[in-house]
Amino acid sequence: MLKAIGYFWELLKGGWITTRHFMTNMFHHTLRLFHIKTKRPGAVTYQYPEVKKPLAARHRSLHRLMTREDGKPRCVACMLCATVCPSECIVIEAAEDADPEIQKVPKSFTIDLNRCCFCGFCVEACPEDAIRMDTGVIDLARRSHDDLIFGLDKLLK
Amino acid sequence: MIKLFIDGAAVEVPEGTTVFKAAEQAGIALPHFCFHPAFAPEGTCRLCLVQIEGSPKLELSCSTVIREGMKVVTQSPAVGEARRGVLEFLLAEHPLDCPICDKAGECKLQDYSRDYGLTESAFREFKEKRDKKVAIGEKLLLDRERCIQCTRCVRFLAEVTKTHELGVFERGVRTEIGILDGVPVQNGYSGNLVDLCPVGAITDTDFRFKTRPWFLSRAESVCPHCGRGCNIYVDYHPGLPRVPGSAKVFRIRPRTNEAVNGPWICDVGRYGYVRAQNAGRSDRPFWNKDGAKTELGWDTAMAILGDKLRALVDAGRADRVAVAATSWLTNEELFLVKKIFRDDFGSGRIVLCDPRPGEGDDFLRRPDRTPNARGARELGFDPAPPALEALARGTEVLILFGPHIAEHFRPAELRAALDGIAVKVLVTPHLTGLEGLMDGVLASATPAEKDGSFTNFEGRVQPFAAAARPCPDVRSELEILAALAGSLGLRPDYYGRLTTAAAVRRELAKEIPFFGARA
Repeated sequence: MLKAIGYFWELLKGGWITTRHFMTNMFHHTLRLFHIKTKRPGAVTYQYPEVKKPLAARHRSLHRLMTREDGKPRCVACMLCATVCPSECIVIEAAEDADPEIQKVPKSFTIDLNRCCFCGFCVEACPEDAIRMDTGVIDLARRSHDDLIFGLDKLLK
Repeated sequence: MIKLFIDGAAVEVPEGTTVFKAAEQAGIALPHFCFHPAFAPEGTCRLCLVQIEGSPKLELSCSTVIREGMKVVTQSPAVGEARRGVLEFLLAEHPLDCPICDKAGECKLQDYSRDYGLTESAFREFKEKRDKKVAIGEKLLLDRERCIQCTRCVRFLAEVTKTHELGVFERGVRTEIGILDGVPVQNGYSGNLVDLCPVGAITDTDFRFKTRPWFLSRAESVCPHCGRGCNIYVDYHPGLPRVPGSAKVFRIRPRTNEAVNGPWICDVGRYGYVRAQNAGRSDRPFWNKDGAKTELGWDTAMAILGDKLRALVDAGRADRVAVAATSWLTNEELFLVKKIFRDDFGSGRIVLCDPRPGEGDDFLRRPDRTPNARGARELGFDPAPPALEALARGTEVLILFGPHIAEHFRPAELRAALDGIAVKVLVTPHLTGLEGLMDGVLASATPAEKDGSFTNFEGRVQPFAAAARPCPDVRSELEILAALAGSLGLRPDYYGRLTTAAAVRRELAKEIPFFGARA
């Protein structure tokens, strides 16, 4: 009996939180209707995936590899990203470039997004600004693990 | 003995010692580029400067000989300032392309710049452009921008190999290292230049861009390519999760042992393994059945061999087993071969089949092409190539270790002799064509992949530890022999203990006085 009262009490508490949020949002939205600026904008529900929430400028989304002016990858395969990566999801194979000023280019550059934790350390470690996480792509669900292994072709796009 | 004071601590060293070596003895490591213990001091890098009481200027510790009562200060504001200045001049002309430099991570210039806090440069001008990729040898590339002109490479070729291929050209800011008249560095020891170079000026095309040094773990091993038994480091990648084949050996480096190889190794030893790991590897056991190759698991393969041997034992014909061992095997493995097949099976057909001797030189390389010829001799194996006739006649099961028998006999001869043998099994790390004549092939580990010990030509027993196993499905001969003894039920109280190299080595020391004296 005492237990049942406890459950009921928790239900009431939950209901109170929902109501509170509803009233607060309602309050802010109403003020805005009358062009009164408030500190908080009031919560909005986006109709995802038809409507996408705008991402913050520094939001870490899908990686991309930057290119030089002539379209070759900027990456020099120094493997610092692979070194710093805490989930060990980056594997790079280096190759020799004919240009003695570049010398080292990636033959393959693979990010296993199954393992990636989107910490952004690779972006910070890169001495060439060759990898960025600013594509804004966050819908990364795939039907198989293999589709989440991104190579040079996908990353350079 | 002469007494001097280094940083206030009294040190006693023999007369004629340099301040650098005295400091080393006192446990103080002084920064240096051009000094190398194997050469006479050169004094070009100016980094090992120390303060000596009574001397008006800073002195080079590598070339200053100690005096009685000398007071040396190795760490002081003046010394630090001088070293920082030296480093700043070196860095002013250095390309700072560490991200693509193979030396990064084990580069002395990197380490010292960090130690002396050089994060900014006062040098605002454009850096000098020089050649970045000059081939100076078959596997050597010189980057003149990275070179700091310590001349270690030049002195190595002048003092150690005495071949003088490299020289210093021009003077002053235009100083550069180069080969004379386009003749490349080629003397069988050229790989040492890569280890010697304190920066990434000389790099190795074999290792170039393959990985970064900080990914590598190292195992202390012994070079298996001749009887010298040079001490080496096997630098290997321990492997990444979910990346098959990422565990592998990337390079071989010398491990200093003054009694055997000093700080050098030859090019055969340096490049031999990495090639051997990739080319023609036997990576899992298989059985040739009716002319078709069937890959087997280890359990099945060992069970087949065990059954054949047990059938012989049960029929009282255990002495019909012939074994051709090789001195590529470790002391421990050769001991087990002898114990199992000679003592327990009573077979008189235990022979040693080694590759033919090649050419040696007057430095490290020996003519014998196996690491353990001396060990095999001490264990009672006859080093003479076996007589095929005697080995094959009446033999029912033949176990070959290594494919070297093919070097001594023509294929037709070999085929004719082996045809009469019911079961022929080859235990080998490499496939060289002999496997077509065999019934079964057991894939074994190379010396870098197993524990054990080799006895070098001087009788020095040198234990070593396993590095990475690039092929996960191989087993060492020791594991194969121990498993065989186990499955045949031979003296379990004796062989049951002998499952690791260390345990066999202990037994070896107990039973054979030669190894007992060297344990």
